[in-house]
Amino acid sequence: MIEFKNVNKWFGKLHVLKDINLEIPKGEVLVICGPSGSGKSTLIRCINRLEPIQDGQIIVNKVPVHDKATNLTKLRADIGFVFQQFHLYPHMTVLENVMLAPVNVKKIAKSKAEKIAMEKLEQVGLTEKSGAHPAQLSGGQQQRVAIARGLAMSPEIMLFDEPTSALDPEMIGEVLDVMVNLVSEGMTMCVVTHEMGFAKKVANRVLFMDEGAIVETGTPNEFFDNPKTDRAANFISMILTH
Amino acid sequence: MMAFYFAQLVEIFPFFLKGLWMTSKIAFISLVSCTLIGLVLGIFRSSNSIILRYLVGVYVAFVRGTPFVVQIFIIFFIFPEWGIQLEAFPAALLAMAIMGSAFICEIVAGGIAAIPKGQWEAAASSGLTNLQQLRLVVIPQAMKIILPPLVGQYVLLIKDTSVVSVIGVMDLTRVGWVTVVRIPEGLMVFTLVGALYFMISYPLILLSNYLEQRMAI
Amino acid sequence: MLADFNFRVIWEYMPLFLTGVRATAFIAAVSITLALITGILACACRISGIKALKYPAIAYIELIRSTPLLVQIYFLYFGLPTLGLRIPELQTGILALMLNSGAYIAEIIRAGINSVDEGHIEAGISSGLNYVQRMRFIILPQALGVTIPPLLGQNIVLVKDSALLSLISVVELTRSGQTMTSERFMPAEAFLTVAFFYMCIYFCLKAFADWSQRKLIFREVY
Repeated sequence: MIEFKNVNKWFGKLHVLKDINLEIPKGEVLVICGPSGSGKSTLIRCINRLEPIQDGQIIVNKVPVHDKATNLTKLRADIGFVFQQFHLYPHMTVLENVMLAPVNVKKIAKSKAEKIAMEKLEQVGLTEKSGAHPAQLSGGQQQRVAIARGLAMSPEIMLFDEPTSALDPEMIGEVLDVMVNLVSEGMTMCVVTHEMGFAKKVANRVLFMDEGAIVETGTPNEFFDNPKTDRAANFISMILTH
Repeated sequence: MMAFYFAQLVEIFPFFLKGLWMTSKIAFISLVSCTLIGLVLGIFRSSNSIILRYLVGVYVAFVRGTPFVVQIFIIFFIFPEWGIQLEAFPAALLAMAIMGSAFICEIVAGGIAAIPKGQWEAAASSGLTNLQQLRLVVIPQAMKIILPPLVGQYVLLIKDTSVVSVIGVMDLTRVGWVTVVRIPEGLMVFTLVGALYFMISYPLILLSNYLEQRMAI
Repeated sequence: MLADFNFRVIWEYMPLFLTGVRATAFIAAVSITLALITGILACACRISGIKALKYPAIAYIELIRSTPLLVQIYFLYFGLPTLGLRIPELQTGILALMLNSGAYIAEIIRAGINSVDEGHIEAGISSGLNYVQRMRFIILPQALGVTIPPLLGQNIVLVKDSALLSLISVVELTRSGQTMTSERFMPAEAFLTVAFFYMCIYFCLKAFADWSQRKLIFREVY
């Protein structure tokens, strides 16, 4: 479903993605972890072309992402993205936030879009907040709305860029619960996170990145209990000391 | 002597009101045109196209780098050389539109630049086009940032209308200038002119101060 | 249009333009210096607790900001003679620019002082510093960094404002353009050249302002 073929990316002189080769089949839940600066956020941001690449190819559902001829709107409509900082639209209500894309991109009628939005809000457990503004919600609630916003377009793929890193500890659970439920519905997910509990519970595969390259992959159990490389082992021990 | 002149002033007061009316007309038309043009230019100034940004940048630099009175002379005198006869009033409106829109352009571009990149990215990730991102997400938020300096700029523009008097437009300033030839009481004449300008500017200044305070919260 | 541009005549009038540039530079330099002094004094009165100083200062600033510069220039030019004061037009013009920019500078300085963090002032009070000491060691040095960019901006504004002095027959750059126009009937050549010179002055001042802003930021990052 998602393919990286010899992908290279530079930020100026900095080589941030080094020869990435990756295949993510449909329905897989992939967790990407690694130290900061390893390129993991950059990697998933390339999937929906939030970032350009200089070399190689990224193919989503047989469509080359960075091709000039590609219909970006159509591509992005099929991919939901959840940001670390949520980025909800402050000038709109929660319901309007979730409805915005269905109405303006898929051209769905407002009444129908409202129904879809309320369904998604129910999925994340926030129907009673539909009339509130983002500023009135807690961090965990905002992130759940952000997930609903991503789901509103009924995407085939959901990408998560460190969804719980900006949250106070007591709110991480409510967001991870929503994500675990998504998995049980067969969603293809790519999650950049340090939450090992989540990875062990639902991930099919874990990817470890360091300095722009994929260093190691494996099932969660393989990776966390028996890392093959020293760098991976180092990293795991560092996140374990909390 | 003063009493004699004072009586004369009272007699031609309606003349001053006509000047005030002309100033108000020019100010109002200019505020509207500058805002509309400035909004579009501000969007161009923030665009991804380097050419567009550069072209608007050159235009803004020219307007900001030269005195308004020189711009008025250029517009008023150059058009006849190209065969277009411009009357003073339309020339004044054109000069105001060109000058004011450049300044409003910068205010709008500043407001757009203040919106975090994440807002653009979140909108883009849902599949919204560049224009939709701008229209639905960025501009509504930028408006709150733009409003206080925009109102401040309106005050400046109202005062700038006084300069169009140099090409003969019979605005409030020119009425004073013409009057002082007949009634050589410069102090009284221009105090009156100043008072009338004060009347139309001060409310806007108060509004601008109020908006600046509200934004700071 | 540029094809029939008469560069020869512009070259012929170059001494006049250069005289104008020099005059404008002189007027701007003198006016901004006087305006700075005026502004500092006005600001001091404005923020003082003494009502006899504060209210006249507020009145002065608000009057200047609510009326056009051209009206202020005409007010002095036509009004001072009626009071018996016959001042040459150059001095009248400089006076007008001084009073006008002085008010804006007073507000710029006031904004700079207000921008200093409340916490720093409280720290000063807690250390036992009196008002003058707090001003000298805490408030003014920090206010300086915030104040200098808008002050340089006001300098640029003042150069453009000085063009209005041409309307009361002061010798300066815009007047050079008017003179050439009335003598040779070539307004395009005259005023585009004038505009060109103003642009040069503008870019020099702007480059200086940008440079000093970079230097300031550097200094703030201890």
